[in-house]
Amino acid sequence: MEYRHTRVMGGPESGPDWFRHAIRGLAAGRDGRLYAAGDSRVMVFDPAGKVLRTWATAKPGCCLAVAADGRVLVGEAGQVEIFSGAGQLLQAWRGGWLGEITAIGFHGAETLVADAAARCIRRYDSGLKKLNDIGLDNRTNGFLIPNGVLDFEVDAAGVIHAANPGKHRVERYQADGKLLGHVGRFDGLNPEGFPGCCNPTNVALGTGGRLVVTEKAESRAKVLDSGGKLVAVLGTRIFDAGCKNMAVASDFRGRVYVAETVKLRIFVFEPARAEAV
Amino acid sequence: MSKGFSRRQVVAVTGLGLTAGFLVKKAEGQVVWQIDSKSCVNSKLGEVGVKVCDLCVKECVVTQSAVRAVNEFSKCGRCCVCPAYFNVKSAVGKDGLPSEKLCPRDAILRKPIGEVDPNDPANNFYEYVIDEAKCDGCGKCVMACKEPAGLGSIVLRVRHDLCVNCNNCAISQACPKDAITQWPALKAVLGLSETA
Repeated sequence: MEYRHTRVMGGPESGPDWFRHAIRGLAAGRDGRLYAAGDSRVMVFDPAGKVLRTWATAKPGCCLAVAADGRVLVGEAGQVEIFSGAGQLLQAWRGGWLGEITAIGFHGAETLVADAAARCIRRYDSGLKKLNDIGLDNRTNGFLIPNGVLDFEVDAAGVIHAANPGKHRVERYQADGKLLGHVGRFDGLNPEGFPGCCNPTNVALGTGGRLVVTEKAESRAKVLDSGGKLVAVLGTRIFDAGCKNMAVASDFRGRVYVAETVKLRIFVFEPARAEAV
Repeated sequence: MSKGFSRRQVVAVTGLGLTAGFLVKKAEGQVVWQIDSKSCVNSKLGEVGVKVCDLCVKECVVTQSAVRAVNEFSKCGRCCVCPAYFNVKSAVGKDGLPSEKLCPRDAILRKPIGEVDPNDPANNFYEYVIDEAKCDGCGKCVMACKEPAGLGSIVLRVRHDLCVNCNNCAISQACPKDAITQWPALKAVLGLSETA
């Protein structure tokens, strides 16, 4: 399968209305919009890349997720802020029970948050009662995330796909924490594997059960099929070599968004042939 | 348990304090050569894809150089596949790990922390210790550990028990980044950061 690099959004010359220090989170909404978190703000773009709205967050956003009802959850250090789709602050979860929140997902009415400080995914019910931790019950007492980011996404069947970069894998978990399996292995030469000390750093779910991952130290994005077989390498040599923890998102069209962390740009890739929607 | 201090503890603490005070006084005013890891090309952030600099090996008047690689454990990720230990661009072996080591002097030791899972070696942390008797400060591991490939936990340091403290350090003369300079001995000995 082939992908075309179709657009670059932002960059150093984008002026004061663009991110100035960091882009750490991307999410593709069901409405076709792209949501980005960085610095201490959220930006929302239409499918053509035009800025629809922007709003401030209390702390620098590390990640964000868009709920089925349109609420936008922004993960930050020690807290999660919940906004309406229009950017109005609805609620904030604060307290010592949240560490460094680097990914958020949903499992029915439950909310899952990746706590990089605890190296696990925490599962809460709609009343914010903690149900269980995911990824802690192993010999390393958590995910191996030397990069300081724990990223995951939940598929339509409720299976959690989490990057475990220190093990060079994307692991699959049930919501109750049971490990179902993994894809990926180390390989520094063949792009079928994950190179370096700790890759992939970030993960998103694409269309057709595909996984989209980003890697550091040879910054690149890759598309894998549900069995972990390489489908496409995106953006070889177009990202700055110093990038790491590049946030990634994929929308219902199969379009892939990658946040480049050095020059603060968002790269857009599209399947060469349109996906069935 | 008693909250007070025993006579022996008081004597020990006083003795340590007096010894530290003596060493501090002795070190005051002295300068030693040390490497600023934020300037050294092998560890400087943002310098990606550049050639490893080995001038610390080539220029030092001391045989095997007075410069050594040091792993700052507090920053180390204890990865299964350490890019400073392994040549991560070498072919993958039967064990799923790179088949070659990076260090030409085999000066890095890799030890599992805890018991290794025989079915899954990736399911573990590993400790990496530099054998300073073998290391000559060539900088290869330092460059490989630099972000974004690694976490930048390995840096080059002048070992003052080996350095003869020349007035005109040959490495300093050759260093293209002026990364080796004279520091107050106390600062260097205490391991304070270069900017402290």
